Amino acid sequence: MIPLTWEIASRGLTEAGRILVMLAVGVAVIEALAYLILHKWLKLKNALPFMLMLPAFIAVVALVIYPFLFNLQLAFSNMSMYRFKEFSVGLSYGIQNFLDVFRAPVLQNVTFAQLLLRTVVWTAVNVFFHVLGGLFLAILLNRPLRGKAIYRTLLTIPWAIPQVIAALAWKNEFHYQYGFINVLLQKLGFAPVQWLSDPKWAFVAVIIVNIWLGIPFMMVIILGGLQSISPDYYDAAQIDGASGFQQFRAITMPLLKPVLTPAIILGVVWTFNNFNVIYLITKGGPMEGTDILVTSLYKAVFEFYRYGFGAAYSTVILIILLIFTWIYLKVTKGMGEVADA
Amino acid sequence: MKKESSRIHSFFRSGKGDSPAKKLLIHLILIMASVIAVYPFLRVVAISLRPGSQLLSTDLSLIPSNATLENYRTLIFEKDFTIWLWNSLVVSLTTVIVGIVLSASAAYAFSRWDFPGRKQGLVFLLTTQMLPPSMLLLPIYVMVVRLQLFNTYTGMILAHSVGAVPFSIWLLKGYYDTIPRELEEAALVDGASRLEAFYKIIIPLSTPALGVCGLFSFMTSWSEFMMARVMLQKADLFTWPLGFQKLLDQFTTQWGVFSAASVLVAVPAMLLFMYSSKWLISGLTLGGVKE
Amino acid sequence: MKRAIAFILTGVLFFALAVPMGALAQKKVTFTLWTKEGEVTGGVLEDIVELSKEFAKSRPGLTIEVVSYGVEELRQNFQAAAFAGQGPDLLWTVSDHAGPFVAMKIIKPVDNIFGKDFLKEFVRPGLECVELDGKTWGVPISVGNHLMLLYNKNLLKTPPKNTDEMIKVGKELTRDLNKDGVPDQYGLVYNLNEPFFFAPWLGGFGGWPLDGTKPTLNTPAMVNALQFVHDLKFVHKIVPVECDYDAADALFKEGKAAMLINGDWSLTSYQTPEVRKKVDLGVARIPMVSQTGLWPTPMTSGIYFMLPDYLTGEKLQIAKEFVEFISSDKVQLRFLEKHMRLPATASALKNPKIASDPILKGSADQMVVGKPMPTVPEMRAAWDAIRPNQEAVMAGKMSPKNAAKAMQDACEKLIREMTK
Repeated sequence: MIPLTWEIASRGLTEAGRILVMLAVGVAVIEALAYLILHKWLKLKNALPFMLMLPAFIAVVALVIYPFLFNLQLAFSNMSMYRFKEFSVGLSYGIQNFLDVFRAPVLQNVTFAQLLLRTVVWTAVNVFFHVLGGLFLAILLNRPLRGKAIYRTLLTIPWAIPQVIAALAWKNEFHYQYGFINVLLQKLGFAPVQWLSDPKWAFVAVIIVNIWLGIPFMMVIILGGLQSISPDYYDAAQIDGASGFQQFRAITMPLLKPVLTPAIILGVVWTFNNFNVIYLITKGGPMEGTDILVTSLYKAVFEFYRYGFGAAYSTVILIILLIFTWIYLKVTKGMGEVADA
Repeated sequence: MKKESSRIHSFFRSGKGDSPAKKLLIHLILIMASVIAVYPFLRVVAISLRPGSQLLSTDLSLIPSNATLENYRTLIFEKDFTIWLWNSLVVSLTTVIVGIVLSASAAYAFSRWDFPGRKQGLVFLLTTQMLPPSMLLLPIYVMVVRLQLFNTYTGMILAHSVGAVPFSIWLLKGYYDTIPRELEEAALVDGASRLEAFYKIIIPLSTPALGVCGLFSFMTSWSEFMMARVMLQKADLFTWPLGFQKLLDQFTTQWGVFSAASVLVAVPAMLLFMYSSKWLISGLTLGGVKE
Repeated sequence: MKRAIAFILTGVLFFALAVPMGALAQKKVTFTLWTKEGEVTGGVLEDIVELSKEFAKSRPGLTIEVVSYGVEELRQNFQAAAFAGQGPDLLWTVSDHAGPFVAMKIIKPVDNIFGKDFLKEFVRPGLECVELDGKTWGVPISVGNHLMLLYNKNLLKTPPKNTDEMIKVGKELTRDLNKDGVPDQYGLVYNLNEPFFFAPWLGGFGGWPLDGTKPTLNTPAMVNALQFVHDLKFVHKIVPVECDYDAADALFKEGKAAMLINGDWSLTSYQTPEVRKKVDLGVARIPMVSQTGLWPTPMTSGIYFMLPDYLTGEKLQIAKEFVEFISSDKVQLRFLEKHMRLPATASALKNPKIASDPILKGSADQMVVGKPMPTVPEMRAAWDAIRPNQEAVMAGKMSPKNAAKAMQDACEKLIREMTK
């Protein structure tokens, strides 16, 4: 055991302090350079917004661009277990890798199309219930109510519990004999369900867990949005004789949209890429019945060392998400409203 | 009919006209939801109070008859738990500060100016969230070796805060948009600069959103595992997600101690949620608009 | 609140500016050991830390940094480290990792580093697990890691001699004590869906997953073994409907299971005072398969040192000395006594303590009929091919015959892709 000594504790603080100093210096340098270049030299009209964005932008690009290019390089390589350190890169390898994604089962039996369909179901069901549940609870909590603060705290607990722990806790509740859910089902007169050995029920189980995990996030986001809507709108609508539901559609939903659009897109992306819940509860099993795209990607790369294939596969996943986002923004015109507000 | 509509109306907005029966109904719904939200956690608490190290038990009661705090004692006095917790706190809280500094001003630019590349910028931020995380292990390790970021928190904190930045920018931008421009314009007329207007008017009005952003950054960082396991290779630098690996074993996990650790790890996050909920209800954002 | 923030920030800045480091000019070496051992029952990890401190005393300026990861995390992290060319100086891990690490060319053969005489000290089955292409790729720390039959003497006086007897007593001991229609005491429990726990039965019916690097899954032995485990659940009903590792563990610990199949790693956890109240532990071989007259063959493996391929110079020398230190009789016996791990050296295995302790004796006796787990990376494909089909048989959704065929097909496909 290592005791928490003053030395160790202060070392952490020292480093935190150093980072904050570095951040301040870094931002100052970037801003000074940007000021000289954008404002003094190029005399840009929009110099100020660019300067405001620059630190965040540089940080994001620096972190994302290298892994992205690295991944792209691997996608066009034959890197695998036997060619781990001395792999070669070439167009033909890339074509091979991308074709492999669609041609043969990605794992043993499930094909890419099946995995994609399952991932879409997984994502749609989850996000739908996240938003529905979050909206419902947020509306209830937005009312004057005794003990509101207590409810709100209790309801955010699933978010506050780290996913690893939540997943392990839930796994036990799905146990055939010991799990609370089957005990409850039996008390209500139903037959117990083999949650973790029947692929269909296992998929239901992981979805239940993920819905449970995701509602608080949406609830908090929506609650934040609801509270920024001025009561004046409702007062005016009431004078005009609008019904409650009309008000909800005409005032609440449109005004929530700027908050909801990014929240839904992010929710979709995170759920689509959510690896923890499924992996910790079922490992994609039984019979590959709960594998989604990202869990099968993980298996291909880390269990079968198919690095080249995995890189191509992850590129395909990325492209699917990009297409989804693009369509979603087109259909809802969310981007227009978000960007033009 | 009129009465009916006002009843529904109040359901969606204010509860002034709620009848006692309806209040009761709402309370019942909220109590049920709270039980569902809390129950799995209580079961973890129950395991942590059970002596021995088994995970499952035919005993379903929440406080086992032979309850003991032994697991907590083991955890705190015989494991490195306090170190993990401290390290995680340092990393997460620094991440919150870095994340907010980076995103608050960027979001302001996205909210108030229409510059070329603005939409593309917003979409780009979203796309950064789309890289499947398991593909990042190899490139990040190579980066860490090249930049020699082993056994420092610097790389981790930057990575964590940048991970949370896209979301924070989107959220903050959404909030800034709801703040009327007239407020800043008035300040500008009074001779304030654009930046002053931002710091003196927008930032204070955005406390609830900043709170949510901070919370979000904290949660991203608090349980992050992949970067940590690549960058931290000294036992006394471990954050709790790494430390938990020591408690978990393929077959011989001490579930009692593990659960005790889980309970204690969830506590700081819960406290933060409780504290920040004050910001969430403050309704400050539109306080200045009514006039 | 504001004052608190200001206070914290001032403190933080103070520390940032007051960094009196780099004052120590003495030559220092930090040697990093990655281990898969966690802080589990018995405190193996703490022992490693203690041993490494003891060892470091012999070399001034040396610090040994012991870093613990989960088995999978260690493998993935080491692969990334080796790819990047910088990482740990020594690995303390399971034999399964040798296969992929050799294929990836990221560990060193140990034959020339330690010499033939040193390696001769170890028992054959221990070395067999890490021999590939005529070279040895690891140094054993302890051997075993094998499954055996544990039984609760409070429920069952003597262990069954063969599977017929096991089923017979199993039926007698599977009872519905509270009459709710679901048994709450079982004859036998084990991790039903895990291929590792199925391997002994497969061997008992005369089969084995691989022949060299070729999968041999679609065999009559596989069909019979699958039929056997299927019948344990659906015909004889002596195992629970759903039973994973933790459920089996819990049932046995609560005295609600007469027999348990579990590994040597679990032995200490059934001898704690709390568990002794309900369990009087006995250890025996997994009963002989009546149909074939063969003993089931649990897979044996062990825990090994492996040396990264980038290791050179002084670090290599330290690694060599540290490995020799752990292989010494003194340390080997310490692991036997404290953690019930069977030692890897022939001299330590002769220790009378093993013969006199009924539990260690049972464990050693079981190991005699065990079979080394194949080291080749193809084994990973075999595991993954067996798992879903075994699950399907155990869920009653697939016939053993079809499952065996599906396993073979899947395994061949996985190997093709892996070795591309």
